[in-house]
Amino acid sequence: MRKLWLSLVVVLGLILAAGCVSEESAGSGGDEEADGAEETDNTSEEGNTEEAESDDELEIAVVPKLVGIPYFNASETGAEQAGEDLGVNVEYTGPTEADAAAQVKVIEDLISQDVDAIAVAPNDPASVEPVLKKAKENDIHVMDWDTPADKELVDLSVKQVDDEEFGRHMAEKLVEAMGTEEGEIAILTGGLSAANLNSWIDAAQSELDENYPDIEIVSDKIPTDEKQQVAYQKTLDLLKSYPDLKGVLAVSTPAPLGAAQAVQEKGLQDEVSVVGSALPTDSEPFLEDGSLDTAVLWNPEQLGYLTVALGKMLAEGEMPEDGQEIEGVGEITVEDDGKTVIMAPPQDYTKENASEFDF
Amino acid sequence: MTNIKLSKESVLGLIALAIFVGLSLFTPGFLSSGNINSMMFQLPEFGLIALGMMVVIITGGIDLSITYIAAFSGVGAALMMTNGFGIFPAIIVGIIFALACGAFNGVVVSKIGVPPILVTLGTMVLFEGVILAITNGNAISGFPDAYSLIGNGYYLGIVPFSLVIFFVFTIITGLLLNKSTWGRRVYMYGSNDLATLFSGVKNSKVLMKVYLYASLLAAVSAIIMTSRYNSVKVDLGSSYLLQSVAAAVLGGTNIHGGYGKVMGTIYAVLIFQFIRNGLNLMGVHSSLVDVVIGAILIAVLTLNFFSDKLSRQKAKAAS
Repeated sequence: MRKLWLSLVVVLGLILAAGCVSEESAGSGGDEEADGAEETDNTSEEGNTEEAESDDELEIAVVPKLVGIPYFNASETGAEQAGEDLGVNVEYTGPTEADAAAQVKVIEDLISQDVDAIAVAPNDPASVEPVLKKAKENDIHVMDWDTPADKELVDLSVKQVDDEEFGRHMAEKLVEAMGTEEGEIAILTGGLSAANLNSWIDAAQSELDENYPDIEIVSDKIPTDEKQQVAYQKTLDLLKSYPDLKGVLAVSTPAPLGAAQAVQEKGLQDEVSVVGSALPTDSEPFLEDGSLDTAVLWNPEQLGYLTVALGKMLAEGEMPEDGQEIEGVGEITVEDDGKTVIMAPPQDYTKENASEFDF
Repeated sequence: MTNIKLSKESVLGLIALAIFVGLSLFTPGFLSSGNINSMMFQLPEFGLIALGMMVVIITGGIDLSITYIAAFSGVGAALMMTNGFGIFPAIIVGIIFALACGAFNGVVVSKIGVPPILVTLGTMVLFEGVILAITNGNAISGFPDAYSLIGNGYYLGIVPFSLVIFFVFTIITGLLLNKSTWGRRVYMYGSNDLATLFSGVKNSKVLMKVYLYASLLAAVSAIIMTSRYNSVKVDLGSSYLLQSVAAAVLGGTNIHGGYGKVMGTIYAVLIFQFIRNGLNLMGVHSSLVDVVIGAILIAVLTLNFFSDKLSRQKAKAAS
């Protein structure tokens, strides 16, 4: 027994020693790390040239937050279409769960594969920072799509819509659906801390304040935990507490469905208008009887297409320009920083067109 | 049979080796130094959780809260660092957070006697809720540069430091399980808890330490993960939960308790790592990767089951 404890103490001592070494050599350790990186750089470059000889098609990797949900399946269709049209090899791969750690592994494996460009929709922007740095050290072009990563790090950032425009557009659509410029409305949101949802709501609120001063928002934005069931429950409560409610603006994809469900159940299709961000296939049953008036979103298929198209440009050393026409997508907007690309104006899904889409 | 008797673990080791050789022959880029390097960095965080899970499974239990213990401990360390404390106190707090979680599991399992799967299912949801309440679901990030060396730095310039940590904990786990009284009692408890109790062992003490040790390994894994990803979020490493059970079981650990070897789990972790990485390099769709891993798991378990049965029959025939 005593021997065992002795050996344990020795091992523990070793750990501590190891800890000390690494901390003392934090500076030199960094150098060593850089050396290591250079070494791998060289070898990977060799690998690169070899591969370039055998295969001259560009390889663009697109990493979604996770695979196997309708939204990202739609963008996969678009990305692969773009690969065929533009003659590049598209690798669309991501984790099966929206876990940041799993996503980083996928990107690390893509670095080993020596792709030419990686476009990532980060689950957690901070967690992909180190691995994107590593990709850049290996001469891989790095961009983000769908959700922005660290701005300093990426060469290009593909955004589906302009947040300001999107929010204002939703507000306009709601007023249009209500058919009146006065009355009470409520705002549902996915979560209080979601940055993109908040900027949409802020934009919608300023649109209402500026142009429709007679519209009254009955309460602070109401969180629905990104769940249809919660949105449904909260809308029922709202309808009870505010019998004169004219409209509901529901931001985050499950929220409009829940709100519409409540309106449908109460038979208030003509009294209460619901407008929100949702996918057309999900919202079709509610659009049909008018419980949901308009679903506003972007086209995820186009987003996948544009991501690959821009990835190809990037790999070939070009940068997109403001107002440039991208085949299959349309005119894009490039923001003043020169690397944020905005795909297109928001797209409306209504009773008339919802059945044409399969996402 | 007796001269070429190979233990379950060595067979698994050979399978791992075969997979490694096969993949390096048929997958371009698998053997490149960059890829080997990234595999060495990917291994420790999962390996540590799998080891922790193995220790719990040896007692016939399971710890479903282990990845949330890791995330909780990561949040603890992250909060310390973002509030201006140094790395060392942050790591200590991270470990204390995890040990507190482990102690909670341990008390409910060992003193009250609720089945581990129920307890840890409950604490999994509980810890997730607590983390959500603390972080509001946001990521905490922005740690000092020196901290990122733990997960991204090299020890002596060659071996990833995280791999060294993993190696050390592998040895400690092996020593504790095989050489210490506690380790022997863990196996005893796993095979027959009543007999263990009647031979004068304080079962609750043994179990308590099992859950504490598992949470300690989770904390170490959390430190490596937070350092590697420079951020922590409620679902940090959540994809490792069922994978770690799978690795422990693939490594030969008996799900009913009583048997399990460190080396087996390590080989299983290696097999998972090789296959995942290799298939990713081949550009196989990730849902298909899960299918392959699931198929291998079932194949090996069936094989184990039949070989166990066979050897038991032989033993019977011999007696």
